[in-house]
Amino acid sequence: MKKLLVVLTILLSLTVLAQEVIKIGAIFPLTGPAAATGVKIKYAVEVAQEIINGEHPEIELLLGKSAGLPNLKGAKVQFVFADHQANPELAMAEAERLIRNEGVVALIGCYHSSATKPASQVAEKYGIPFIAGSSSSAALTERGLQWFFRIAPHDGMETVFFFEYLKYLNQKYNANIKRVAVVYIDNEYGVHAAQMVKEKIKDYQADGFTIVADVKYPASATNVDIEVQKVKGAKPDAIFHASYIGDMTMFVKKYKEFNVLPKVVLSYCGGYQDPQFVINLGKDADYFAGPNATTSALFKKMPILAKINEMYKAKSGVDIDGPTLEDFASAIVIAEAINLAGSTEPQKILNVLKTGTFMAPYFVSGRIKFGPDGQNIYSASVMTQILNGVYEAVWPEQYQTKEPVPQFPEWNKR
Amino acid sequence: MAMKNRLLYVISVVALVLPFIFRNVNFQHIMIMLLIFAGLGESWNIITGFAGQTSFGHAAFFGIGAYTSTILFYKFGISPWVGMLLGALFAAVVSAIVSYPCFRLKGHYFAVATLAVAEIIKQLFVSWDYVEGATGISIPVKPDSFWMMQFHRSKIPYFLIAYVLFIVSVVIAVLIERNKMGYYLKAIRESHEAAEALGINTTRYKLYAMIVSSAVTAMFGTLYAQYILYIDPFMVFGLDISMKIVLLTVLGGLGTVYGPIIGSAILIPLSEYTRAFLGGTGKGIDLMIYGALIVIVACFEPRGVFGLFQRSKKRGAQYAKTTA
Repeated sequence: MKKLLVVLTILLSLTVLAQEVIKIGAIFPLTGPAAATGVKIKYAVEVAQEIINGEHPEIELLLGKSAGLPNLKGAKVQFVFADHQANPELAMAEAERLIRNEGVVALIGCYHSSATKPASQVAEKYGIPFIAGSSSSAALTERGLQWFFRIAPHDGMETVFFFEYLKYLNQKYNANIKRVAVVYIDNEYGVHAAQMVKEKIKDYQADGFTIVADVKYPASATNVDIEVQKVKGAKPDAIFHASYIGDMTMFVKKYKEFNVLPKVVLSYCGGYQDPQFVINLGKDADYFAGPNATTSALFKKMPILAKINEMYKAKSGVDIDGPTLEDFASAIVIAEAINLAGSTEPQKILNVLKTGTFMAPYFVSGRIKFGPDGQNIYSASVMTQILNGVYEAVWPEQYQTKEPVPQFPEWNKR
Repeated sequence: MAMKNRLLYVISVVALVLPFIFRNVNFQHIMIMLLIFAGLGESWNIITGFAGQTSFGHAAFFGIGAYTSTILFYKFGISPWVGMLLGALFAAVVSAIVSYPCFRLKGHYFAVATLAVAEIIKQLFVSWDYVEGATGISIPVKPDSFWMMQFHRSKIPYFLIAYVLFIVSVVIAVLIERNKMGYYLKAIRESHEAAEALGINTTRYKLYAMIVSSAVTAMFGTLYAQYILYIDPFMVFGLDISMKIVLLTVLGGLGTVYGPIIGSAILIPLSEYTRAFLGGTGKGIDLMIYGALIVIVACFEPRGVFGLFQRSKKRGAQYAKTTA
């Protein structure tokens, strides 16, 4: 009996001494149509957790050096994962379960904008901070929510980025790009991106840009002959694409078949950014371009990013890509905010998120700061172009790993 | 008959009391989803279980209910209660227009036609700018109000609304099953020609069944939209919803009032709890368990779990006879 008492006392004191664990909910599509992406993001968030909880002086982040959160007596952070299967209803249910049952103090997620919408409304209801890493629909930060923040540039910002890049090509390379075609999938991602082009082009009409084709295709399309003929007929200099990996691959094959030769093709965050694009198309993937939060060509220029990628690659077997890095950033930022607040009280974390500037040496912008609507005001993207099968950073110039090529060569001369 | 009624009363009372005993939000959420899908199963059962006309497109009516109330609330600030009634009316009208020509088709052809109609309606909503197309609608959050059907402090009001709708759907199903219409529908299910030979106006009764079924389905659509506070065409018109209704009714037992209740009492908690405990692993184990259970029931008892109960009851009676 005495022995039992001693053991119990030791166990009890150990529990008291054990450091506090701070739980943060992470809702991603771990199964379902986007499972491959969701699992990659899970690896990235796990890397963030290792960096925060372990001692990693080689990674110069605020929480890299120390083990745990120094302002909370070294408390450890635990990301509690939940699966929304690309279904908004499940995202909402999981957000509520994580807040009420698991006692998470903040949420990150959900990759799909349609899942982020109801999940962040739950966070708003309970007064819990929600940081979206890679959800890009502009509508998310137009809802006037108090507790919602987003790191990725939204499609409105991406559109401005596209036009600025085209202006740069016209000025520096005399590319004479004027006629723009928009090709997009008929879901929220595609339709909203196309709306943004129609809205933002008003500011660039003085530079000579006009929309010459507006081509929408169904999400279930198995043949895009008619769409590609429409594009070819319009003779665009630039094509803006909002497509996923499957349909983007289909379009490129048809562009080759119908010999469509624009000067540039710029893709919204989607199929082009998936490294599978190069694997699927080989040489035909060359010269396509789009904004990316990161690219493996940048690792040489950015040592901290290279070290993060090393940890990530050990888990996933592939290099970290743009959206995954944005979700990694959401995990780091929320942990930093809790540490800076020195408390898990939601209001204190919120104040830090609203006023603080977070160092982000893994992004070319180098920092993250949220505007009054919760949008990160520093666009974390560089323009990349695939050259010889590698995503090269081509703009802005200070991050250039290769010069851009503002003309598609003949398809048979690649 | 009295015995059957008694069992239904017991189920109703237990379902009503549970969320007040277990006040965990996750449990309350499961109860709400359970009642919504049990009710949807009941209404689907009217046209498919009783009348034998397999509909794979009930998401169309669910979506019409969700969109009618949401658009009225989002654009004009009209109460979702009004939207719920109008949604039911729209769904009834649409179902009548769509299914009248489809009723000429029999068996599998009718099932395929309903599937196609639901997909067409989904595509219409995807490209319809007035209803925000593919972008979907985030329902503006308002303070707790019964009239606006929004409750943020507690889930109990949502539960009570789901409960009342569920009871309405059960009462309608029971009334149809035990009245002339139920016998007519079952006669149509067993033999279309024989039913016509007996003088039953088969098209008219199938149409009645479809109208009632779609109107009730639409009412659940409104509740679902107000509960999730976000809708888009893929979510409410998707094949997922249609299939879930089919699955849980078939699993529980087709053509009986108990089928959808049993099916959703098994499937909804199973999918929610396995996801909660195993979903975070990213290995899809929750979905494997879910799928395996359906396969097992389908292989060993095609009449559903309700069939299993009936079989064991029969065996019990036989055993009693032999031992007597």
